[in-house]
Amino acid sequence: MYNLLLKEVRLGVNPFFFVLPLITGALMLVPGWLYFIVPLYFCMITIPNIFGGYKSQNDLMFTSMLPVNKKNVVQAKVLLIVLLEVLHVVTAMIYGKISLSLYPHLHYIFFKPTPGFWGLTLVMLALFNLFFISMYFKTAYKYGAATLVASTVAVLFAVEAEWLGIQNQFVSDLFKGSGSTDGLTHYSILFTGVLIFAAFTFIAYRIAYQRFKKVEV
Amino acid sequence: MIMLDVKNLNKKFPHFQLSDVSFQLPQGYIMGFIGLNGAGKTTTIKSILNLITVDSGEISIMGKNMNEHEVELKQVVGYAFGNVDFYTRSKIKTLTKVFKTFYDNWNDEAYRHYIQKFKLIEDKKIAELSTGMKVKYSLALALSHGAKLLILDEPTSGLDPAARDDLLDVFRELVQDGEISILFSTHITSDLEKCADYITYIHEGHLINSAEKEEFVDKYRLINGKVEDLEPIKDRMISYKVTSFGFTGLILAENFTPSPAFKSAIPNLEEIMIYYSKKEAAHV
Repeated sequence: MYNLLLKEVRLGVNPFFFVLPLITGALMLVPGWLYFIVPLYFCMITIPNIFGGYKSQNDLMFTSMLPVNKKNVVQAKVLLIVLLEVLHVVTAMIYGKISLSLYPHLHYIFFKPTPGFWGLTLVMLALFNLFFISMYFKTAYKYGAATLVASTVAVLFAVEAEWLGIQNQFVSDLFKGSGSTDGLTHYSILFTGVLIFAAFTFIAYRIAYQRFKKVEV
Repeated sequence: MIMLDVKNLNKKFPHFQLSDVSFQLPQGYIMGFIGLNGAGKTTTIKSILNLITVDSGEISIMGKNMNEHEVELKQVVGYAFGNVDFYTRSKIKTLTKVFKTFYDNWNDEAYRHYIQKFKLIEDKKIAELSTGMKVKYSLALALSHGAKLLILDEPTSGLDPAARDDLLDVFRELVQDGEISILFSTHITSDLEKCADYITYIHEGHLINSAEKEEFVDKYRLINGKVEDLEPIKDRMISYKVTSFGFTGLILAENFTPSPAFKSAIPNLEEIMIYYSKKEAAHV
């Protein structure tokens, strides 16, 4: 499995996509911005580019000829997605910390980059993974519809969450007001986000593997 | 030893069907796998490599079932697809570095040997290689991981005559010590006249014949005669064409009784393929 992951990193992914989190993450420095957009760049730029590359380079055929089993093929691709997502989120979190210290008295309309916000971000990416990974492995090369559906679901989640943050006083207080410094609550939300992310990604992997077993190259 | 054993392969697609394809390739020989475009050659090859799931049938390599021992058997199978490229923007050395991590018996020394022998420049990108060089690179990879069975799908298509001849010499050299076997699909039959030991002919998804090359062509006769002598023999012929000089047709040797009215000769592979395709056209 390690050699398959190495194959994805060395052949499948342009090094630019490992640098991209540093660029998109810097958008966290825009005061009071709609920060959900930052991780969404991963869904809308990184994913279609990488999977478009796989398609044009006949990755499915190349991988299928190698002495590897189908389970490991799916695992390696899922692991690569998770690796890049973690890279995006962790980089954005670091920039978020800097942003908070740069603008300590800012009045936020959209979510403040608190640990709880990152928990919500992980839930958004969990939904993205559930739809993208499971849909992509129906064919293991068509990535367009899977990207579109998964990104739409992620955007809808972000819009809903932000809407709730504006409409609902409790949510607004928790994420932008006095509650935003409540470490215990926020880290609980972050921890829950991590669990949901892991669970949804695992479910996506299981569905993807069942589907990939039936794929004909 | 039988290197590759294909038994009763069946696979149905919406517009095409592979029906009961069976053949055997003994170790140390080259088998030419012939058929027109769309005859089912690539489908059969994909079935052998387990890239598609067959409806029924069995594939064994070195006596082991491909379905049950896929990962293990792929260690000893090398491939070259003439028309498919992988990671063309990567350099040879980058692709090799990744590729070799998958094989237990990778031999760097052998790799260096074949890279030099085939005059491959490791700093070149795959896209910069000519079609013949790409096939040679695939061969270098296969031989460096100790492949015993080489499956080559149309490796000579698109090559100029000199490059084709060069590649055929390489194939002959590879099987010389009797360890490596080659299954070589093509519709360029002259390549096989030069280098194949066995011929398997597939037409419209059906196996027509699989036999040793001389035995294969000896099964048929190409006959010439006058148009007025055609009537009594035409139903026994696979197909025929009529010109102002008379008729020429292909017939199974067992259905042909020599007569002074006909001139007969042993056909070449191309003629066999052409007359089989005419048979199909006549029935349309």
